[in-house]
Amino acid sequence: MIASRSPIAQASVRVVVPPTLVVAAFVFFAGHNRPGGGFAAGLVLGAVLALRAMAAMPVRVPATGALAAGAATVSAVAMLPLLGGGRLLDQAIGAVDLPVLGTVKFGTALVFDAGVVLVVVGLVAAVLEGLGALVDDEETP
Amino acid sequence: MIFGLLALHALAFVAIVVAGDRLGRTAFLLAALPPAAAGAWAASRFGAGGEVAATAGVGWVGGLDLRFAFAVDRFALLLTLVVGVIGTAVFVYAAGYFAGPRPGLARLAATLLAFGGSMLGLVWADSIWTLFVFWEATSITSFLLVGHDTTSAVARLAARRALLVTVGGGLALLGGLVILGDLTGTDRLGAMRGALEAGPAATVAAVLVLVGAATKSAQVPFHIWLPGAMAAPTPVSAYLHSATMVKAGVILVALAGPVFDDVAVWEPLGAGIGIASLLVGGWGALRHVDAKLVLAYGTVSQLGLLITLLAVGETFAALALLSAHAVFKASLFMVVGEVDVRTGTRDLRQLSGLWRTMPGACAVALVSGASMIGAGPVLGFAAKESAIEAVLDLDGAGGALVAAAVVVGSVLTAAYTVRLLAALFRPARAGGERVEVAPGRAALAGPSVLLSAFTVGSFALLGPVSDAVAAAAAVLDPQAASARLYRWHGVTPALLTSVGIVVVGTVVGLAAARRLHAAVPPSGRGAQWADLAVDSVLVVARRSTGRVQHGSLPLYLATMALVAALATLPFAGALDSARWYRWDSPAQAVAAGLVLASALGAALVGSRLGAALALGGVGFSVTALFVVQGAPDLALTQLLVETIVVVGFVLGLGGLRRRFPPTGRLWRGARLAVAGSAAAAVTLGLLASSSNPVASAPRAELAARGVEDGGGNNLVNVVLTDVRALDTLGEVLVLSVVALGVLALARAGRERRRAAEEVAAR
Repeated sequence: MIASRSPIAQASVRVVVPPTLVVAAFVFFAGHNRPGGGFAAGLVLGAVLALRAMAAMPVRVPATGALAAGAATVSAVAMLPLLGGGRLLDQAIGAVDLPVLGTVKFGTALVFDAGVVLVVVGLVAAVLEGLGALVDDEETP
Repeated sequence: MIFGLLALHALAFVAIVVAGDRLGRTAFLLAALPPAAAGAWAASRFGAGGEVAATAGVGWVGGLDLRFAFAVDRFALLLTLVVGVIGTAVFVYAAGYFAGPRPGLARLAATLLAFGGSMLGLVWADSIWTLFVFWEATSITSFLLVGHDTTSAVARLAARRALLVTVGGGLALLGGLVILGDLTGTDRLGAMRGALEAGPAATVAAVLVLVGAATKSAQVPFHIWLPGAMAAPTPVSAYLHSATMVKAGVILVALAGPVFDDVAVWEPLGAGIGIASLLVGGWGALRHVDAKLVLAYGTVSQLGLLITLLAVGETFAALALLSAHAVFKASLFMVVGEVDVRTGTRDLRQLSGLWRTMPGACAVALVSGASMIGAGPVLGFAAKESAIEAVLDLDGAGGALVAAAVVVGSVLTAAYTVRLLAALFRPARAGGERVEVAPGRAALAGPSVLLSAFTVGSFALLGPVSDAVAAAAAVLDPQAASARLYRWHGVTPALLTSVGIVVVGTVVGLAAARRLHAAVPPSGRGAQWADLAVDSVLVVARRSTGRVQHGSLPLYLATMALVAALATLPFAGALDSARWYRWDSPAQAVAAGLVLASALGAALVGSRLGAALALGGVGFSVTALFVVQGAPDLALTQLLVETIVVVGFVLGLGGLRRRFPPTGRLWRGARLAVAGSAAAAVTLGLLASSSNPVASAPRAELAARGVEDGGGNNLVNVVLTDVRALDTLGEVLVLSVVALGVLALARAGRERRRAAEEVAAR
């Protein structure tokens, strides 16, 4: 096992993870107008999981659940317009006025992208588990 | 009303499933209500005038003009009556058959009810697609019914056989229906009559429909599934093999007959299948010693007779016989079930003397048996008489052949019936052991008594029965409207033939019964061959999978690389060196150099970790290439993927040795060859594609659509989540499934290893 229980590695991961989550959120929302998006954000989150695995810290993302939720989300977003008589994958776009952020445009593509995030995270978690790289919860101090 | 009755079936089904085994035998009484309602409705509609009693429809797939369409005409009404009445009787009988609470009774009741509902849907269907859906539903539910005893290997095998044969026939039927719908331009059987022109396509459709009907009705050579299906509990057999499942094929032949009127192959093929089944079934029934199997082969034989009559156009006689058969066959199955429950055996060699201990069952069996033979004051006599009269009137050599076959088949019918009754109820042989008989139960005996009372009573009140059958037959064949059943129509050739049949059959049957103790039942070779065929398919599949999925990763990789390399060879003709240029900017050369250097490093380094990192170097260098090219999205994604891949590699290497094992020269040469050919193929493909640039990329149009529809300025992502979102949807779903597969494999492997460790530890 290459994963190391070194306290230095674990402490570093603890420091690095919160800003990485912010980056992931940024990448996710930036995707509409700038480089980024659901796939990239999912990969950033996946990298967090991989880092935790490297430091022999438990990864508490249920791979099956994330995959199922992601697949369900994208399918639901895809099929929802059918109920309203629309076509598959029709997008609804709206704009909301929020206090600090000003006018924010919001499309159902964002929800679709959130599903993509879930699937990518689930995929990474699945691969990590498949590689046998995850430590069991109870083994960690 | 149609939807109401179907909904009633669904409701009772749900109620039984929800209540589960707590209901015990009451589940069957609850399940008896929907068929009783259907039968009562059909009976009440008979008196009313009008061609069609009810219609109903609901859209299904609008774009394909596909509807669930139902229309209950006089023909469907008669069948509804048969299915409903026999269904009610069978459910009540089942409540008596299963004494005491047993696990799985609710499942059986619910499945049988679902089957009955499907059968009604089939009978009521107006559109061929509706008919097909319910046709398949009966196949599936009967599979579940035959395999009800999931712990019995025999039942499971029989269920598989029944499913494969009937569903295979369903496939043939689907093909036939598609051709029919295509040729006639309608999906209603009623509208197809007269709309079909003879021709090769119509011939193919006729053959396919006949094959479908023959599989369902257990006709030769597809009858092999029926004997095995006797593994089902007797109430199931009484329902499936008298009034419903096997009748579906007969109904199909009756409905499709007028459509295929002008198709030459219909009559000889239909009559051929029917005659073969009539004779093979009759002969089989005469040789078997299991009472239920005797009845099963008798069903093959009787259905053969029905299909023969329908194929030669004797609709009235066929429908009269169909009704009589449903009643007497159901009550005979019930008697055999009662004998089985009360004595513990169905083996004719061990049974005797039941006339004294089970007088009620004996009387029922005698009445029903007489109806099956066509003798005495019973419904079967009137029906059989009209059938024999009909076949004696047929013209030509073909007609004579049919008549001869029907006569021989009827002799066999009389013979096996007499043999069965004699074996069950003959006085006990002197010195033979007395058969112990458990006390009877009202619900067990009642339904069959009522059915045989109907067999006698309907002969006394033949008028209404005759009218109902004539009205039903007139739907398919207008000339049948004036046909009638007669109690007595004088001393005619038909009557003399009947008398001859009964006399000869009785003599043969009694002789066979006397030699019963030495009888050796047939081995069911046809079914064994069918099982062998299925098993050999499985064996071939397993072997070929073993060959192809050998599990050697290097061989998989080599196969993929070489096939891909061969696939690019055709592109060699498209090379055009005039369009090649060195680079867009010199920075590309730097990035390309990095890619090359990292790749070489990955190939040459001896440590596994080093190789993984060098591979990561390749990826990051490609990222640089993307940045230089001006593709930030691609670069970002590549960077992230590469990061995770490197981390994954490092984690995955944990269980392996640090260095690659030493390799021989041959192996290294082979790998070089594979890698070299893959590299050459990629180079070739890229050069060829840059030799033939696409006229113009649809960038401007996409950009406009992206901002307008997608509501975003990042074209790449708008394309991914909106413009080509269907692709993304597909990819995401594929990805999820792949990941789940990875998980399942990994978990299974880990569990096996853990189990092995536990064994080793012990």
